[in-house]
Amino acid sequence: MGVAEVFTEFGDIYLQSVLSTWLMTAVCFAGGLTLGIIITVLRVSPIKPLRTVGDVYVQLFRNIPTVSLLVIFVYALPYLGATLPYRTCLLACVILIVSAFASENFMSGINAIGVGQIEAARSVGLSFTQIIRLVVIPQSLRTTVLPMTNLLIATLLTTAMGSQVPLTPPELTGMVNYVNSRSVAGISAFVVSAICYAGTSVVLGFLGNRLDKKVRILR
Amino acid sequence: MTAEYAGPIIEMRHVDKHFGQLHVLKDINLTVEKGEVVVLIGPSGSGKSTLCRTINRLETIDSGEILFQGVKLPEEGKELAALRAEIGMVFQSFNLFAHKTILENVTMGPIEVLRKSKKEAEAEAMELLRRVGVAEQAAKVPAQLSGGQQQRVAIARSLAMHPKAMLFDEPTSALDPEMVGEVLDVMVELAKQGMTMVVVTHEMNFARRVANRVVFMADGQIVEQNTPDEFFDHPQSDRARDFLNSIKGH
Repeated sequence: MGVAEVFTEFGDIYLQSVLSTWLMTAVCFAGGLTLGIIITVLRVSPIKPLRTVGDVYVQLFRNIPTVSLLVIFVYALPYLGATLPYRTCLLACVILIVSAFASENFMSGINAIGVGQIEAARSVGLSFTQIIRLVVIPQSLRTTVLPMTNLLIATLLTTAMGSQVPLTPPELTGMVNYVNSRSVAGISAFVVSAICYAGTSVVLGFLGNRLDKKVRILR
Repeated sequence: MTAEYAGPIIEMRHVDKHFGQLHVLKDINLTVEKGEVVVLIGPSGSGKSTLCRTINRLETIDSGEILFQGVKLPEEGKELAALRAEIGMVFQSFNLFAHKTILENVTMGPIEVLRKSKKEAEAEAMELLRRVGVAEQAAKVPAQLSGGQQQRVAIARSLAMHPKAMLFDEPTSALDPEMVGEVLDVMVELAKQGMTMVVVTHEMNFARRVANRVVFMADGQIVEQNTPDEFFDHPQSDRARDFLNSIKGH
């Protein structure tokens, strides 16, 4: 079965799986970014225990393989009385991991701001939360567009972990199993999924570069 | 604070501070009256910048006390932020907000802290930018301005908060020589209008011309303080004489 035949026979469900991958990527990245900002605020807060919580969080979720975390969510949580839908497990895992990496990116963005601007903001009379909201987060976001684009692409590829649990519709990698268990497509099914991943990544990378040029802060 | 408060604006009593082993401020006693321009000079490492930064608590102190308008500096939180809003601060490295336009740099404090409307804050900011001579740069970002222009914006940013006193921490030390004058001119203008100022500087001409009092520091101590003419013409201590000799004729 060639690539063209895979398309004609499974076109509809392929479209659904592409959309499923895109949607999960969007949800995981938005969730990871939001959680990452919260974790980063903890890590720069004036209260030591909060900083420690933030640091431990990042070390924990940056260093766990996604598949291990997924196993914990799918097989261990039910023992604690929390049986979540497969898709929820997957989204939660990816969000936790993405947020840890996002926080590291944010920290590098914050380090680029320089203590002088923070002192100036304090001198004007701004509170900690105002400084975070008005100076730290906007500058950090605008300085880290390129590493965040990397992270977005990594998020896209990490959703492939969805192939390890039954999802309806499947995402792009699970789709390979779906096709190959229903016909003899062999490598063709992989090729089609790979093209979808690569195409998406190229577009995201291009958009990331454009955005970076637009919002980058002159220093 | 009530309007009729007539005591000293800034009072430091027996202030001590260490950086690890280093004793950077040793039993500092200093009073600054309303409308006074006090210039801190001394060799580098003498503690003058640290002293300046303790006044709005960018540096904490180990012991002693600092009063602003007769009230002890709050330690943290909302009260400290409110106090800082009343004390202007101008830094050696300008420290403008890099992601904001010049106009936004000046309006941020009034809008966020004083809760002024955007329109009112912008009108006042433009007036201040005109006063310091950079109004036509209002829409640019800091990196597009020269050092001298950035420092004048930083002064406007402080003034927008209507401070009761202003601290200048070596405001011209990071500037190219041809830009020092334009910043000093703005500061002279402020002094003439009666602004209470504490200025850490190496600009001896400015000190002589504008200061009401020169405070000479060495090794974390205030060694002597006097009117500029007295200090520069008849220094009392060996340390001050050595310092003045070392900077003379360059």
